[in-house]
Amino acid sequence: MGDGLLYTKDLAVGYGGVTVVNGIELSVQPGRIVTLIGPNGAGKSTVLKTITRQLAPTGGAVVLDGRDLRAVPERDLARTEAILMTARPAPELMTCFDVVSAGRYPYTGRLGLLTEADRAEVRRAMDLVGVTALADKDFTRVSDGQRQLVMLARAICQRPRLLVLDEPTSYLDVRYKLKLLTVLKDLAAREGLAVLMSLHELALARRVSDTLVCVADGVIDRIGPPEEIFTPGTMARLFGVTEELLAQARAEGLRWEELYGF
Amino acid sequence: MRKGAAILARKKRYMLGYAVLLALLGLLLAMNLGIGTVGMRPGEILALLRHPGGQSAQARILWQIRFPRTLAAALLGGALALSGFLLQTFFANPIAGPFVLGISSGAKLAVALVMIAALGRGLALPSAALIAAAFAGSLLSTGFILAVSGKVRRMGTLIICGVMIGYICAAITDLLVTFADDANIVNLHNWSMGSFSGVTWANVRTMALVVLAGFGCAMALSKPMGAYQLGPVYAANMGVNVRRLRAALIVLSSLLSACVTAFAGPVSFVGVAVPHLVKSLFGTAKPLAALPACFLGGSVFCLFCDLLARTLFAPTELAIGSVTAVFGAPVVIWLMLRRQGGRDDG
Repeated sequence: MGDGLLYTKDLAVGYGGVTVVNGIELSVQPGRIVTLIGPNGAGKSTVLKTITRQLAPTGGAVVLDGRDLRAVPERDLARTEAILMTARPAPELMTCFDVVSAGRYPYTGRLGLLTEADRAEVRRAMDLVGVTALADKDFTRVSDGQRQLVMLARAICQRPRLLVLDEPTSYLDVRYKLKLLTVLKDLAAREGLAVLMSLHELALARRVSDTLVCVADGVIDRIGPPEEIFTPGTMARLFGVTEELLAQARAEGLRWEELYGF
Repeated sequence: MRKGAAILARKKRYMLGYAVLLALLGLLLAMNLGIGTVGMRPGEILALLRHPGGQSAQARILWQIRFPRTLAAALLGGALALSGFLLQTFFANPIAGPFVLGISSGAKLAVALVMIAALGRGLALPSAALIAAAFAGSLLSTGFILAVSGKVRRMGTLIICGVMIGYICAAITDLLVTFADDANIVNLHNWSMGSFSGVTWANVRTMALVVLAGFGCAMALSKPMGAYQLGPVYAANMGVNVRRLRAALIVLSSLLSACVTAFAGPVSFVGVAVPHLVKSLFGTAKPLAALPACFLGGSVFCLFCDLLARTLFAPTELAIGSVTAVFGAPVVIWLMLRRQGGRDDG
């Protein structure tokens, strides 16, 4: 690999100097959706946190737009990468419009006042995600699914070239899952947005991704397009499913696709 | 357009809020200058204010006692409310404040130590030395609270820790005051009870310098503070240097509450009650709008409480903290009850 909007060079990630995943070589191209899959606790979130500079690498490097991530000034980073993480903010007295408009931070002046152009960006992002009707509602009083879409609109109005999402569909019902992934697909196709995310729903990962990255046992197990990754052998190895378990499942009348949930 | 209407409605509310606060401020300034054993009508006050050099009894009462005291109450009240707002932003919790977290008590202890040491040697202390001592005491308490907050995530536990620190510091201060033998002990005792009385013009100049500089710095941080209200992770992603912002919030809030403690002793609950009332009045927690409003609100609140403290049982004065507690503590209780009912994420 070694090119793309963002790529990693022998990256090792972890907490407090203890490496969780190492030897990571992945890249994200404009207009492409790259998805990390793998068992719980494999380190998917740790990879994403390192790529968004919430954690320092324990080894190797992340290269963003041709520069080492460590050397990218804050404002440039904010204009290049936007995030949707699992942290759920509960701000006091903020409307959904206020929350989305926070995404304009890297573009506003010293006092953070919104210009008419900024407001237009906010409205565009809210329209795109379909939360315009929530604009004047208190952010802490809307449903979990709506809140997630509002946070997606916030990330979009930051006008990033790369969007990083950690398990964006967790706890959402089908309607919001579909909306969220449709918006991502659409932005990638029409505006050349690069998307890097983690998903635990394999069926969705398979449908929506251009590239899948399998994270397991402290390494990147495999990287490839969905049709290469979604084979019984790869899946069994990735999730530690034994022949024995497979045989039992087969005896119960389950096909392997059903076993993995797609 | 509907969106335009929403912005307009919000602007109207801000304007109304500021109008209410400024009107109250004007009214209370006049009342604090005019009411006392020697009453003065607004016309008389204006006439006296126009001629600073007056030698009449009235002129001296106004210029040497009431005017500096009124300005001190306004400035220090604003400082307390600001300090509370900054701490609430830092801890992402509306119940945080310099008094409930024990920061004021740490400052009080440090000031008492320095005062007694100086009085014992017959030294007069400049205001700046008192502020420096209070600031050091504040930072020590804050450091302790931060160390605890790294271990406990629950805000309730953190506040109990703060209250306990407050008690420990207050107990040590009382001991020191009780056993310090000096003629000036009366002053020390007054100060340790909390009061705006006896403020000089030199004091006012020093506190104005510190408090207004603190206010300016807080306003300069309003943009990153606004982003920080969405949490440190999102703030960092939007380009905020989170570590620098957190340090600035702690230093500023400690400095502001230290200035209050150095001149007026402990003043309770203003830092929690005022920001909450102001945010409810304005319907926003956006720093750019809420910070000046908090400052005005703190001024109004302390002017009102000081007026009661010195007139209610005149000539006996009440401790300012007793009066602010009567009006401030119920707001804090109400806040805690409301949070208990809703989500509890701290």
